[in-house]
Amino acid sequence: MTDQVDNNSLDRAAVIEIVVAGVREALVLASPEAETTELTEETRLIGAGAVLDSLGLVTAVLEIEQRLADEHDLVVVLADERAMSQKHSPFRSVGALTDYVLRLAAENTHA
Amino acid sequence: MSIQWLLDRMDQWRADPALARGKTATTYGDLVDRVNEWRARLDAQGMRQGQVVALRGDYTAQAVALLLALIDRGAIVVPLTEAAEVHREEFLEIAEVEVEIAFDADDRWSWQARPVSAVNQLTLQLREAQAPGLVLFSSGSTGKSKAALHNFTSLLEKFKTARQRMVTLTFLLLDHIGGINTLFYTLSNGGTVVSVSSRNPDVVCEAIARNRVEMLPTSPTFLNLLLISEAYKRHDLSSLRLVTYGTEVMPESTLQRIAEVFPGVKLQQTYGLSELGILRSKSRDNRSLWVKVGGEGFETRIVDGLLWVRAQSAMLGYLNAPSPFDAEGWMNTGDSVEVDGEYIRILGRKSEIINVGGQKIYPAEVESVLLQMSNVRDAVVVGEKNPITGQIVTARVNLFEPEEPAAFKKRLRAFCREKLATYKIPAKIEISGQEQYNARYKRMRRADPTP
Repeated sequence: MTDQVDNNSLDRAAVIEIVVAGVREALVLASPEAETTELTEETRLIGAGAVLDSLGLVTAVLEIEQRLADEHDLVVVLADERAMSQKHSPFRSVGALTDYVLRLAAENTHA
Repeated sequence: MSIQWLLDRMDQWRADPALARGKTATTYGDLVDRVNEWRARLDAQGMRQGQVVALRGDYTAQAVALLLALIDRGAIVVPLTEAAEVHREEFLEIAEVEVEIAFDADDRWSWQARPVSAVNQLTLQLREAQAPGLVLFSSGSTGKSKAALHNFTSLLEKFKTARQRMVTLTFLLLDHIGGINTLFYTLSNGGTVVSVSSRNPDVVCEAIARNRVEMLPTSPTFLNLLLISEAYKRHDLSSLRLVTYGTEVMPESTLQRIAEVFPGVKLQQTYGLSELGILRSKSRDNRSLWVKVGGEGFETRIVDGLLWVRAQSAMLGYLNAPSPFDAEGWMNTGDSVEVDGEYIRILGRKSEIINVGGQKIYPAEVESVLLQMSNVRDAVVVGEKNPITGQIVTARVNLFEPEEPAAFKKRLRAFCREKLATYKIPAKIEISGQEQYNARYKRMRRADPTP
């Protein structure tokens, strides 16, 4: 066995899909028209030009955690002191949050 | 002694029913005779004034007669009930109980002396004053139970004023200020105390129908269960004239539905605390959560949005905690209120306010909305810590029928979006498999739902 068991084939594309779905869920909650808003890796989640406010971010993060658990049996806490104290916030963009998820997933696997 | 006035009154109504439980009825005459028997028995057992006595029982003829005899004897009574059975040892210890008298299901009693001699300063003070006492334990939903020691004479003072004679169902038990209040209100006015062995909606409704109950003092949680069970459709509740609700914030939606189901019945909010007694209250109308509280012996004021009360019937203090009264005798109830002239509206416990990014949310407001959703049987809302907004709103919901969690979540959010500000919409939604109310039919808003 050389290949590591990778949380039910948790590749970057799959995580991006989940992050985008979670963000969209939060956006739609605030305004139903957001169903069609374009979301990319570069979409900013907090700070200037962000698509979400802090409440939206809370919802998005809970949603993403839920989907990771349901769809990939991956139990991670994305919003905690550790996330908040990162030099570069994992919440700055869809791409950054995706990388953060993958990092936590890797730690889970090797733990 | 201190309740001779009550015993004299009761003696005038000898033929009238005082207690009704199941198929057993007890007249006032019978009750007074039993009080006299208990007086003799207490003499024979050498019961002294000021002894701390635990009374384990319910509203049976013997237990109620003993309660009256103990007050007459000047004892300090610690009522214990089935509902608090898990805390029994702890309560016996805190109250320094010297004698325990217990009643079984057939109303037979047993007497047990405990090798204890009370040394609590408040207990000794009451003993010194030769006044009867009552110890009530707070429900202890957060932290340890606190034991409130009352001078029973002060607590009973207000019942000397004659009020309405009613057939009343005792929903709360003997170990609750609401239960004590109902018992003495009813007995002081020649009414009938109807008690039930279970608070199941059908059992309660059946007792109302059988005894032609006029007054039902209860809790919002029970009224919600009553609506859900539709037990009111299966029994004749036409005798009801007054339904009172208290002990927790009434969800607006539950009140409106109760008003529809009981069109001819007066709905009245009550307010009281085990530390202070029950205040007199008057709801603005049947569908209103605005209420006037106070009455003789009670003063109220609002400080920083919180209700403070000063009461003549206030307890002497806690047996196991510092006094909550300020130098002038006022107590902060910890209840947040809105004010409109003489009326207040209770929003919730200050300690249960959820703070989401600086915005305040009262659980009851959100629960009231969730209870209007189809397939929702019950809902409890709590605050949960979150590093982004400080706290988030978490809803724990009981469903009638299983529903796919993701679909339910979507439906809940869509439903709330039309009725609540965004920050009040639950961010976290959990479907709960266990009941979320305690033995006193009060919603439990604990951080951790698992026992």
